[in-house]
Amino acid sequence: MHPAIDDQTVTPPLLSVFILSASALAYEILLIRLFSIVHWHHFAFMVISIALLGYGVSGSLITVFRRWLLENYDRVFIANTLLFGLSSIACFIIVQQLPFNTLEILWDRSQWQRLLLSYLLLALPFFFVANAIALTIMRFHQKIALVYGIDLIGAGIGTVLVMALLQIFSPDAILRILAISGITAGFFALSSFSSRQKQLAAALISLCMLAIFVTPQEWVALRLSEYKGLAQTLLIKDVSLRSSHTSPISQTDVVQSPFIPFRHAPGLSLQSPAGPPEQLAVFRDGDEMTTIDHVTDESSADTGPGEYFDYMSSALPYHVHSSPKNTLILASATGAQILQAHFYNIPKIDAVESDKQLSLLITKQYADYFGWQKLRHKVTIHNISARGFAASEKQYDLVVLGPSGASTGGSAGVHALSASYDYTVEALQSYLKLLAPEGLLSLTLWTSTPARGNLKLFETAVAAMKNAGINAPENNIAWIRSWNTATLLLKNTALTDAEINKVRDFSTSRSFDLAWLPGISPLEVNSYQVLQEPVFYLAARSSLKGSDGGFIGDDFIQEYKYDIQAATDNRPYFNNFFKWSSIKELLALPGQAGISMIGVGYPTLLISLAQASAATLILILLPLMFLKKDKKKSSEKRRNIIIYFLAIGLAFLFIEIAFIQKFTLILSQPLYAVAVTLCAFLIFSGLGSLYVQNRMRAESEYTITVLLRHSVTLIGLITVSYIVVLPLISSSIMALSEIMRIISAFVLAAPLAFVMGMPFPLGMARLQKTRPDLMPWAWGINGCASVLSAILAVLLAIEIGFNGVMLSAVVLYVAAWRSALSPHY
Amino acid sequence: MPLKHIIVWVFAHLILITSGLVTADEYTLHRQQMVNVIKDDVHTTEKAINKKSFNKIVMQAMNTVPRHEFVPAGLRSQAYENRPLPIGHGQTISQPYIVALMTDLLEPQPDQRILEIGTGSGYQAAVLAQLVAQVYSIEIIEALGASSTQLLSHLGYDNIKTRIADGYNGWPQHAPFDGIIVTAAISHIPPPLVQQLKKGGRMIIPVGTRFQTQYLTLVEKDMQGKVTTRQLLPVIFVPFTGSH
Repeated sequence: MHPAIDDQTVTPPLLSVFILSASALAYEILLIRLFSIVHWHHFAFMVISIALLGYGVSGSLITVFRRWLLENYDRVFIANTLLFGLSSIACFIIVQQLPFNTLEILWDRSQWQRLLLSYLLLALPFFFVANAIALTIMRFHQKIALVYGIDLIGAGIGTVLVMALLQIFSPDAILRILAISGITAGFFALSSFSSRQKQLAAALISLCMLAIFVTPQEWVALRLSEYKGLAQTLLIKDVSLRSSHTSPISQTDVVQSPFIPFRHAPGLSLQSPAGPPEQLAVFRDGDEMTTIDHVTDESSADTGPGEYFDYMSSALPYHVHSSPKNTLILASATGAQILQAHFYNIPKIDAVESDKQLSLLITKQYADYFGWQKLRHKVTIHNISARGFAASEKQYDLVVLGPSGASTGGSAGVHALSASYDYTVEALQSYLKLLAPEGLLSLTLWTSTPARGNLKLFETAVAAMKNAGINAPENNIAWIRSWNTATLLLKNTALTDAEINKVRDFSTSRSFDLAWLPGISPLEVNSYQVLQEPVFYLAARSSLKGSDGGFIGDDFIQEYKYDIQAATDNRPYFNNFFKWSSIKELLALPGQAGISMIGVGYPTLLISLAQASAATLILILLPLMFLKKDKKKSSEKRRNIIIYFLAIGLAFLFIEIAFIQKFTLILSQPLYAVAVTLCAFLIFSGLGSLYVQNRMRAESEYTITVLLRHSVTLIGLITVSYIVVLPLISSSIMALSEIMRIISAFVLAAPLAFVMGMPFPLGMARLQKTRPDLMPWAWGINGCASVLSAILAVLLAIEIGFNGVMLSAVVLYVAAWRSALSPHY
Repeated sequence: MPLKHIIVWVFAHLILITSGLVTADEYTLHRQQMVNVIKDDVHTTEKAINKKSFNKIVMQAMNTVPRHEFVPAGLRSQAYENRPLPIGHGQTISQPYIVALMTDLLEPQPDQRILEIGTGSGYQAAVLAQLVAQVYSIEIIEALGASSTQLLSHLGYDNIKTRIADGYNGWPQHAPFDGIIVTAAISHIPPPLVQQLKKGGRMIIPVGTRFQTQYLTLVEKDMQGKVTTRQLLPVIFVPFTGSH
């Protein structure tokens, strides 16, 4: 008896597939949130990408035990749904118990064993889901496209579902919800069972649900790494958590310390006669501390809570501009820059903060503490990204950005993998457009040693000014630095002598160092905060080389050991400084210093890629040992299958990830971009797959070939046209209302996603006709490709930009098409 | 007590004493090896730190203080490796090379008084106590402060005075200080500490994540009271030299 069903009237358990796919994708996104809170974002990236190899393992297993598994399909399907539910919660609990310290991984070999165990445990839930879906595809091979389409649509809905859940519930509570929803999928698959079997299975399902319900909360509760800022702060006497809020972007914790002040004042001058007032600390994902200043009646009577604002490098623009009437604060976070502008009596303040929760803290929950009542008449907070707001036509005397959060992220390299559209050439150009005549743009960043981010910012600013038609930017820039911050001041016209003198006076009186000023002498730099070499000044000269000022600078930027080239919208990795040419020298440094210098971001990516590649190779090759040898042409056929499914797996995610980045700009909010892109791509791809099912119903091999050719041609054409068109229409879309921007994103994604949903079911359908025993293997290859793709896409984007990633996807689709055309497919 | 019991008792104690002596010898050996590794690191990083060697008395102190007493029992076998180790409460005992470098940068003299912000395990205070007249150390985490105070007392460091408090305000009763070490995370250099630093004094601030100390900030107050900071990268890595 052939275990697969040829009867077209038999319906696959579509509802179960839908629920299971939705739960699995929601679980994947949830794990990223959970591990970002417990450890750090880069660790989450590494663990999840490897854990998804559970899909690859599943393909190998089914290849080997295909016949038995299909013969027992009903039982195996339900068992896998139950195992997903149970393992999704159990594995997380066990992983949390492992004494793993991500920071110690380069010092302590035992940490690698714990990391490996984490991978294996977290791969299990995905392995069970992949088993259930793949077996359904094999079992109902006449309806491959239908099952695959429902799988994709379910995953798309899962994305929206988890985003909605994260708005309401804490991440650990959602873990339980998803475990139960996974088990529910098994319940809906009971219809094919006999009544006795049904009773037995229902009892088992109930038991599993009960087990999840009664799992003690303390087992599931998040155990923050003891090295995170929040965990360490809570160790201080009498410090307590005042409130916590979770959102799909971050977990926000507000902490008070009644006796020991937090005293957060980035780069405060040693000459400051005053320190910061009482503050509440705000932690995002247990780290990146910012503070809310306590504004008392006395302190806020006229100008705000603190003279200390006047002694920070970020106060520079308020001293240089003669009479600012309004200020725009980009990324206002918990309001420190708002209070600083208020301190200088700015009559009208617009603040922009994309994380609504942060602005709610100062305008609602801690409004009295922050003194919001006294500010509200002149401060308006807009919950949109800096870029989104910069698309408006408004004009400001001062536009201010940064510093944000704690200082550790940049130098440790934990944000290296995060795209940032706030600090690109195009971004700075859009900020410059917001300036009124004589207006000033002020950018403050934390410094690091060796200097990196600030030097890249200067180079980016010079590129932006040149793009804006400013021929001699050296006359329009002032740059100062404190012990641990640097402030860059940009103007659309040349700084006047009076303004230049104000910069000098401000810096000297506060013991800040000049890094650049029109007419600066080398003798003026590096006086108070002495660096081993005056790298800020040297970088400035190098950046300005070739402008109309005619500097004969050296090739400092090119020769620098870090990548400090300008960031662009196409390569928006402002926090990545990795340079291949420096790696040998860096790794030769004593102890672990080299790794510290590189930062953890890029190495994480490389390690993940190496691990995923090794695992992929094993998972692709291993099942071949168990497959029946099929005379001649067999190896060529297998090679074509590998190329086809590897290529379409890689290409699908390449395009999806590139669109998340493109839509981040259009939607002005990374969260919306992820939700809209994943949802649109998965759902429309699912619909594309359903269309294929419809067309294939009564037609032949010829239909498959034609559909494949058409879909690949369309993918190529649409992708290339988007590379050209999207930058042209982005600014028009950014000016639309929020709902219209979301609709536009859906409309843009729909046609491309629709055709991208076709190659996989078409490939499987062809395989079904020639080598059905290789179907699970192909499924596994496609799963492995998705894992590789997520890592490779980021690596490629850093190196060649997102347009390059999209073009690579087109090349991969063409390669897949060519392999499918081969007579040996 | 029967004779055979006496023999067993004596034999058992002999084993204990002997094994104890062996362990102590091993620690001494490991400590010497650690000092040699530090010397090698100084040699490798001499351009970056502008020194060919650390002061002999600093190295002698590093060779004297029983670092294994300051790490958790389970990590004693790694106590003399040139790496930071976790000590609980999210804190670490610094890498020996960094401890030696910070101590050397303070240029300790026998008559000096040093303030330390962030006692941690107490190891840095113990090293300093070998070199100066008096060490004052402040720890903000109560449990850590209590355990390190007890340990330092147990080890007989009677020239170390500790307290559990907020280090931002320093210790005005014992100010001014010849040197200050700040191992706590700070967003700015606390003005009270600058005020409590003697003219001609030095303050050291290591900056970086717990397991990745990347650079040191040296705050110097000259005889006129002018304060400057200097950033030191404790590794030989000169980013702008390129291929030259």
